[in-house]
Amino acid sequence: MKREMNYEMNAFYIAYRNLKKNVSFYLLYFVSAAFVIAVFFSFTSFSKSRIILDKISSDGRVETMCSTISVFLMAFVIFYMAYSNRFFLRRRTKELGIYALLGYRKADILKLLISENIYICCLAFLFGILMGALAYRGIVCLINGLLRLGIRQSELSFLDPSAVAQTAVFVAAVLVILVISNGRFLWRSSLMDLVRFEKSAEKKMKFHKLPAAAGFLMILSGYGLSLDILRGSRSVWIRAGFYQTGLLTLFLVTAGTVLFIAFFLPYVMERSKRHKKSFYTDMKIVTTPGFIYRIRSNSRTLIMLTLLSAAVLTVSSVMALTLYYPIAAVSRVAPSEIEFRIGDGMREEDIIDLAERYAPDAADTEITITDLYRVTSDSDHLPVEYSLGSSMNGAQGEEILREAGFECISYSQYRRLLEEQGKNKAADRYAPLSGNECILLKYQPDEQEEPEAGRQYVLDFANGSAEVTVKELSLDNVISFANSVGTLVVSDELYSAISRGQTPDVRVASLNGSALKDNEALYQALSDYLDGSPYLQGHSHRINELIYMNSSTFLLIGFLVILFFIAAGSILYFNNRSAAEDSKADYEILEKIGYRRSKIRKIIRRQIRAFFAIPFLLGLADCIFASMVYKAGLMQNLLGSSWSQYVPVGIAVLLTALIYFVYYILTVKSCCATVWPLDRTMNCSAIGQNDELSTRI
Amino acid sequence: MRTILKVNEVTKIYTKGQKPSLHKVSFEAEAGEFIGIMGASGSGKTTLLNVLSTIDRPTEGNVLIDDVNLEKLSDSEAADFRRDHLGFIFQEYFLLDSLTVRENISVPLTLQKIPPKKIEYMVRSLAERFGIASQLDKYPGELSGGQRQRVSAARAVIKKPGILFADEPTGALDSASATELLKALYEANRDLRTMILMVTHDPYAASYANRILIFRDGRIVEELRRNRDERQKFYERIIEKVAEMDTGRN
Ligand SMILES: Nc1ncnc2c1ncn2[C@@H]1O[C@H](COP(=O)(O)OP(=O)(O)O)[C@@H](O)[C@H]1O
Ligand SMILES: [Mg+2]
Repeated sequence: MKREMNYEMNAFYIAYRNLKKNVSFYLLYFVSAAFVIAVFFSFTSFSKSRIILDKISSDGRVETMCSTISVFLMAFVIFYMAYSNRFFLRRRTKELGIYALLGYRKADILKLLISENIYICCLAFLFGILMGALAYRGIVCLINGLLRLGIRQSELSFLDPSAVAQTAVFVAAVLVILVISNGRFLWRSSLMDLVRFEKSAEKKMKFHKLPAAAGFLMILSGYGLSLDILRGSRSVWIRAGFYQTGLLTLFLVTAGTVLFIAFFLPYVMERSKRHKKSFYTDMKIVTTPGFIYRIRSNSRTLIMLTLLSAAVLTVSSVMALTLYYPIAAVSRVAPSEIEFRIGDGMREEDIIDLAERYAPDAADTEITITDLYRVTSDSDHLPVEYSLGSSMNGAQGEEILREAGFECISYSQYRRLLEEQGKNKAADRYAPLSGNECILLKYQPDEQEEPEAGRQYVLDFANGSAEVTVKELSLDNVISFANSVGTLVVSDELYSAISRGQTPDVRVASLNGSALKDNEALYQALSDYLDGSPYLQGHSHRINELIYMNSSTFLLIGFLVILFFIAAGSILYFNNRSAAEDSKADYEILEKIGYRRSKIRKIIRRQIRAFFAIPFLLGLADCIFASMVYKAGLMQNLLGSSWSQYVPVGIAVLLTALIYFVYYILTVKSCCATVWPLDRTMNCSAIGQNDELSTRI
Repeated sequence: MRTILKVNEVTKIYTKGQKPSLHKVSFEAEAGEFIGIMGASGSGKTTLLNVLSTIDRPTEGNVLIDDVNLEKLSDSEAADFRRDHLGFIFQEYFLLDSLTVRENISVPLTLQKIPPKKIEYMVRSLAERFGIASQLDKYPGELSGGQRQRVSAARAVIKKPGILFADEPTGALDSASATELLKALYEANRDLRTMILMVTHDPYAASYANRILIFRDGRIVEELRRNRDERQKFYERIIEKVAEMDTGRN
């Protein structure tokens, strides 16, 4: 009995000593575990907080999303912890082998490992809860400010006991999983395996041509298929079905990525050795074989990181697109700050009164009333807008049928509204119309085979008829689609001919000015005044509504993305750092042979860079093609095809690149410190311009 | 004969207060010499090689190779000096595991920017001489200890260094492999006029040298010259000497 006690003490003691000895190496493991738990905890706090959920969720949508995401989150935390645990175990097999040689039983060794796991998990749990609580505070502040929820900080408890309990239970479960996994590892490996574990990777490598080619071709055809969507109605996506083609593409790219990393890259590198001129250089002769060796012994890690990185990049880009696109489209859906139809018996003075009451002393407030006259036409090849049946933005969701026809406004009204809406560049672009010229305001960008510009239509109106020529097409509508579709800008002469002695079919009031921006009070007052009319449209009101609607989705996806970056960064860091430690002897040899330190540092940097570049670049390519498919196939196109729509994708990519870069620098620094632990004067510059200089100092 | 290596009163103290690992060691060596260094474990042999080969710096004294004072070299200059003038063989082989034998041997030449065609030719002819021609496309992990040590020797010799440092190169080898390696070194020394400094415990290995420095506690305590003796004769003298020193210790 006493002996048992002693053993336990021993295991704890050795574990403690071992942790202390390898502080720097375990530190990141611990810190990343703490971060992962912090994310989990703040997420749990968030999803359990009635105060917030009551405000942002009306239909239970957020709650459903929370539970879906928490499953992902848990899976991810478990995966990450299991991965890093296994990684550290592998690094220590030799040490464990020595314990076994000294006579420790496997049960004793397992006890040692369990003690270490308990240390790390408990510490990470404590720190994680603290950081998580702070992060949760920050998040609440942020959405509170962003969505103006009016939550007082005093309403929130610092630590939500049920979230703490749930996190504790989860961490305990993770601990059990780690213990089981460690036990399996120990019982499966013989003493021989333990002692000689590190040597097992040195087997002769084989290079398979077939899977290499298959990987390359599969990725290529996957990308080709996604490009095909740009052909519009003739593409495979439309003809064979979006869903089926999507699945096929997903399969091709995923399987292709696996083969690409596991076979194609090593194969290409092996082939590149045949190019003697470039291979027999002091850098390549070391880096190329090193790269092949590492990519083969770590292909699973790389594949997993690449797929994860592709998924995360795609999700964040698609998220960014889904928010950005509607917001960008608001300039077309609701071009004026406030706009509505003037109904019977409505007085202009009432509107002016309201505007003055809610936006007092605003010099730049403009109220413009536009009269639209509907005209019909029997001409061939009428544009789709002519008969587009219902208003697309029935604010209350009901369909409002419109009569087919062109809705005419005059050129000067058009121009004036453009200016009031602050679209001065657009206003300058459209030169005055003469006689029978007109501008057709399109709903979606022109995708017809034969261009619509230059077509001629005969317009029939109450006072007669006239033939007009479409001078140009425009996406710069000045009146929302709720109030006018098939708008035709005609010359002032024609407009007066059409309107002479007629009552307008629709009268639209457009309010613009800086004081109206974000002026929810005025919008509300107008909405009351108009009895909740679906024809009321507000530019900033719509944007705020969109942000509000999407914020919870964003927030929840944000948890996943952050978690990914912590995990991916740490995995890359561990992996490179341990590789550097393993290659320490190699670098010493190179130094003796006569490689300068600056050159060796360059070799280290190159090797790390390759490792970072694969998941990033392949993930990036996947993300670009996936966002393209999403954008072309699943989103409405009101904005035409301009590159500016990919701005959010660009931002997501840039942010990712930045985070990868920071991790890269940290990793390089740490690897150099591993290789030359005592070298304080020679800092390993990750960029590497002043290498030559620093060596001399 | 030209004096290539001058060692003047070299002292090395790793940590202050500790007794010196090298204590005022002085000697000179001429081009084409094959010097054996013997002595008990911890007597300072490895320290001497490190100091002579710019890997470490002496606490006091200086080392001149080809009239270059090693003290004056910056780290990068020292690296270039190793690249151009020095070769190494170690007991633990020290091959790069992820490179094939061919690539391992080529590394020093790529560093000297020799064209690939020439590298290939040189590697092949040297591999034949060292008896490893059929192993060129294997990885170090697939070779026996003796083969690895020969690869290591080929890598050291291929750039025709002025001085070759070998630290217990036969320590981990069976006698047949050891003999092969020593013959190879002997031929390199004879044909290429490469100066060799070889640390060894083995009197047989030492007998390939033409001069032997015996170390104790960081000092040279004895020097044996081969003169015109046959190798066998020299071997017997070395054994005698080693035995004598052992009795002296008892
Ligand atoms: N890096 C070092 N730091 C401190 N002391 C060292 C170091 N290397 C060697 N020594 C000490 O210097 C002495 C000589 O060592 P070494 O030259 O390796 O001996 P040999 O190669 O003859 O066996 C020993 O006492 C050893 O403990
Ligand atoms: Mg030694």
